[in-house]
Amino acid sequence: MNRALHARLLAGAAALLLSATAAAQDPTRALGGLLRSITPGNVLNLPGAAQPGAATTDLLQMLAESVDRIDETRELEIGRQLASVLLGSKPLHPDVALQRYVNRLGRWVSLQSARPQLPWTFAVLDDPGFNAFAAPGGFVFVTKGLVDRVDEAELAGILAHEITHVTRRHHLQALGAKARAGLATQALTSRLRNDLGGAVSAQMLSLGRNLYASGLDQSDEFEADREGVALAARAGFDPYGLPAVLQQLRTAAPDNPLFTLTLSTHPAPQQRLEQLETAMGSRLDAFAGKPPVPIAHRLRQR
Amino acid sequence: MIRTALTRAPAALLLLFSLASLPAPALADEPVLTRRALELRDGAGDGARSLAALPARAALTRLDGRQGAWVQVRTAAGATGWVHMFDLAPASGAGSDNSAGSSATGALRGVTGLFGGGGVRQAGTTAGIRGLGAEDIANAQPNPRALEQVAGWRQGEGDARAFAQQSGLQPVTVEPLPAPARAASRTGGGDPAGREMP
Repeated sequence: MNRALHARLLAGAAALLLSATAAAQDPTRALGGLLRSITPGNVLNLPGAAQPGAATTDLLQMLAESVDRIDETRELEIGRQLASVLLGSKPLHPDVALQRYVNRLGRWVSLQSARPQLPWTFAVLDDPGFNAFAAPGGFVFVTKGLVDRVDEAELAGILAHEITHVTRRHHLQALGAKARAGLATQALTSRLRNDLGGAVSAQMLSLGRNLYASGLDQSDEFEADREGVALAARAGFDPYGLPAVLQQLRTAAPDNPLFTLTLSTHPAPQQRLEQLETAMGSRLDAFAGKPPVPIAHRLRQR
Repeated sequence: MIRTALTRAPAALLLLFSLASLPAPALADEPVLTRRALELRDGAGDGARSLAALPARAALTRLDGRQGAWVQVRTAAGATGWVHMFDLAPASGAGSDNSAGSSATGALRGVTGLFGGGGVRQAGTTAGIRGLGAEDIANAQPNPRALEQVAGWRQGEGDARAFAQQSGLQPVTVEPLPAPARAASRTGGGDPAGREMP
């Protein structure tokens, strides 16, 4: 894949062209003006450009230049926006006891992570599919279909995988790469059409949709598997929870509509299992073998 | 979707459709093959009594039971016992096609024709039910109200610690797992450049 290189080549052009389009954009609309609190930078602060427009464009510009420019405040802003988009894809599950359980479980796992003090927020989406998502700043969502098919250690393994995506800032990396490529395209289009109101906020929305429909870098998925397994073990769970889930995924046909998105956005389950086997060996076997706890059983306890 | 379906063997599609009326995805009873010669054991662990010696590429059925790394299987002869989950590969060969790293898996590819190459056995597609898909993401509009709602469900550190205590969960020290020295060599289709692992 040479997408990253391609993106880098285009980034320069994007930076030049963006200044021509910034003034025509109205970013305060599509995402509820969430970005208005971000301090505008100077790159696109042209005379006559609307201040919030500069702010939004600036954030994308920062992402495109380097993820290192995104501090935790900005990371949380980006995360809130992406989480808001994800929450627009499916409704929340109405079982508040289940929501609280997943938050306690997830918060416990997150406490053993490299970033225990983020405002970790977990939720169950009311959907029969089998999937999990994360957004920067500590948002982790799982589908009800997934929760119904796993035990507690397996759910902990999945949450630990998603938590690792957050602590390693994988989404920001991916968004940065997409911003580099996408900004160039968008800027060219805007210039040709010359009058595209709302393009910047729409662009963030579009980048987010693109991100969650296409998935993260494969090496990031393998890293999240590897670190997720260790993280779940640190929280006192059976480290084989995540591998067991991958074995479930392995049995699903790629065109089973309950699994399509998970399978299309991740490396093949058997490949992930082989990577985990290499990393785990028998290192964590001393922590394994705890009796499985059904989630329904845990919910009845409370 | 369509592209995926077109890449699949016609026989697999026929099988898929014939299974389409199953009520729910059955995630056990997976046809699997042993990746190496191993012992079938009567319990979860290397210390458990050996029931039988199985050769590499022995056809087994994965059952529901799991205890840690060990899963329950049934042999073609009908014996039931336990093997380590990493010693099993899907009989369909699904997911292994990009992996050049495992000679065992490579050898298994010879038998994929039998199952049509795609986890067909477990299709279990419930007609009319689909999960959150790319089109839901593509059409998603920001939902600030739901965002507010989930923020209200957030649990504090104290709640989490109380949960762990009630659940008998103790934090333990676990060293990070080593990153594979040449992770990219087995990622097939991925970005071999990747990022440097620390």
